[in-house]
Amino acid sequence: MAHIVTSVLENRPVAQDYYELRMAWPSWAPAPQPGQFLTLRTVDGPVPLLRRPFAFSGFDRADSAASIIYQRRGHATTLMTAKRPFDPFDILAPLGNGFPDPKSGRRPILIAGGIGMGPMLFLAERLAQTPYPGILIIGARSAQYLPRVVLSRSVQTILCTDDGSAGRKGTAVDIAREEIRQEGCAPELYLCGPHGMLAAGHALAEELDAPSWVAMEQTMGCAVGACMGCVVRVHGGEEYARVCMEGPVFDSRTIIWT
Amino acid sequence: MDLSVRIGSGTLPNPVGVASGTFGYGSEYEKLIDLSIIGALYTKAVTPEPRPGNATPRIIETAAGMLNSIGLANNGLAGFKTAKIPYLRTLPCPAVVNVAGSKGDDYAKVIEELAGEDCIWGWEVNLSCPNVKTGGLALGTDPTEVEQLTSRLRKLSSKPLIIKLTPNVTDITAIARAAESGGADAVSCINTLVGMVIDTKALRPVLPGKTGGLSGPAILPVGLAAVYRVARAVTIPVVGLGGITEADHAIQYLLAGAHAIQIGTANFIDPTVHQKVLDGIQAFAVLHNLQSIPDFHQFIE
Ligand SMILES: Cc1cc2nc3c(=O)[nH]c(=O)nc-3n(C[C@H](O)[C@H](O)[C@H](O)COP(=O)(O)OP(=O)(O)OC[C@H]3O[C@@H](n4cnc5c(N)ncnc54)[C@H](O)[C@@H]3O)c2cc1C
Ligand SMILES: Cc1cc2nc3c(=O)[nH]c(=O)nc-3n(C[C@H](O)[C@H](O)[C@H](O)COP(=O)(O)O)c2cc1C
Ligand code: FES
Repeated sequence: MAHIVTSVLENRPVAQDYYELRMAWPSWAPAPQPGQFLTLRTVDGPVPLLRRPFAFSGFDRADSAASIIYQRRGHATTLMTAKRPFDPFDILAPLGNGFPDPKSGRRPILIAGGIGMGPMLFLAERLAQTPYPGILIIGARSAQYLPRVVLSRSVQTILCTDDGSAGRKGTAVDIAREEIRQEGCAPELYLCGPHGMLAAGHALAEELDAPSWVAMEQTMGCAVGACMGCVVRVHGGEEYARVCMEGPVFDSRTIIWT
Repeated sequence: MDLSVRIGSGTLPNPVGVASGTFGYGSEYEKLIDLSIIGALYTKAVTPEPRPGNATPRIIETAAGMLNSIGLANNGLAGFKTAKIPYLRTLPCPAVVNVAGSKGDDYAKVIEELAGEDCIWGWEVNLSCPNVKTGGLALGTDPTEVEQLTSRLRKLSSKPLIIKLTPNVTDITAIARAAESGGADAVSCINTLVGMVIDTKALRPVLPGKTGGLSGPAILPVGLAAVYRVARAVTIPVVGLGGITEADHAIQYLLAGAHAIQIGTANFIDPTVHQKVLDGIQAFAVLHNLQSIPDFHQFIE
């Protein structure tokens, strides 16, 4: 984890309300892993106050660049859309724990819902360079939310929409279930997206008796483990775990889903 | 120039501390910040029993501030001893243990059991917690109770004893005077202000506990006025906090009568804030030829 004041390289729209921001990555800074995140400051002043967390969507040491994909939602993300190349970019990174490698013999099934696509694209590209490439399934509400320009040729990708306006019709978890059945593989699930989708993914993992990993979200204060603000409920001795420290990637079986 | 701060039987190397609940126990920030320049590290609250904390969300941003409802989440006394004390022994700055509970016995128990630990510089007693005896009213709202509790805790340890005041009272100076008569070595103020945000789409409060504690830039003028008034009501040192995000804010607190300050929410935003504030205070002292902290108090009546 480091405090890095870097520069924006590129900030471009990739789907409706979705943007990809690439930043220069100093050679001294630790390399981000898929699943890890950064927090960034949008302004020097007191509004918006808190740093905002975003998952890495890519990292290339050779290009000295890292990227995030973000959705314009409120004040901070709207300000982010105005960032231009060479604007200073104040981040804490890399934070949290990334996704583990798949267990041997398991087929990685990567399931992304909406804004959860960033870390899944990153992980899919990583796995594509290994002997155990995965299938990436990206689900969105409708066609205009699919980030076609950032998709990689080297990754086997399935697109789906809730309304059937592009790709296959259905939720990403339903499509994953179909794919797994068709392939007849022993899967390992990786998920990032809205809470309901993660819960559905966990249920699928239980059904298939497959390992599964989820990237959780929670409103953050410090993002370094100090404030106890970002917790989610977990099974076991401790009632809560911090998303910024113990997560954001959790074994889905440790999470209390109700 | 000597900017060290004397509080009771102890001395802090410089006036810039980091506030309870915003800096963990130090280890969380050691990769980002040189801890040796910290004047005092006020730990997350320690209660006798472990507390899991409140339901989520626990944090929500407000205009130039944030509301938190952490619920004093901590490992309890036993957990603190095994998991945190060994780390505090290696800390290159003074550690002040923030003590909390829901009744007098809780506070006494924490201080009694930790009193022998050399790595603890002193105590900051968080009186803003809901009081079981009075059915939820914060312990720190009744001068008589504050005086009794302070004198009880005073007897348990000779380390510096700082009573942390809540601003959620009619007259904060009455509470400060009660702490002084009870034998406190200093008071710190302010803790968070009670606040609330309602989600008008969901038609319910955003925080499950409905209200939370407001901190950050929005509360700076409130903290400053509290310190100004308290510093004129007591003769013991006052530690000022609330809304400090830059050196100018900290200097305002010192001018208002504070002997030391703490940085809270700003730690989340700018990991270099502590260094900037300390440097700024030093530069101000040079500019105005101030030799020590009490010299800051000569300007404002
Ligand atoms: C570990 C993690 C990874 C994330 N990765 C991505 C990502 O890759 N792409 C993406 O678009 N979004 C991501 N988010 C969500 C993103 O942080 C929020 O959308 C953003 O903070 C909204 O800020 P805003 O000011 O625009 O909106 P606001 O109006 O402030 O809030 C919109 C929503 O964002 C959430 N939010 C606000 N502040 C915070 C905060 N300090 N911490 C966490 N959530 C907050 C709130 O739940 C709120 O409902 C991630 C969140 C977490 C915790
Ligand atoms: C997330 C969070 C947790 C806190 N926890 C504690 C605590 O455990 N004990 C305590 O006395 N004060 C606690 N506080 C209050 C701060 O120490 C401080 O009094 C308050 O935030 C005002 O300062 P600031 O505006 O600089 O943050 C907490 C504040 C925040 C934001
Ligand atoms: S955001 Fe502070 S502990 Fe995770």
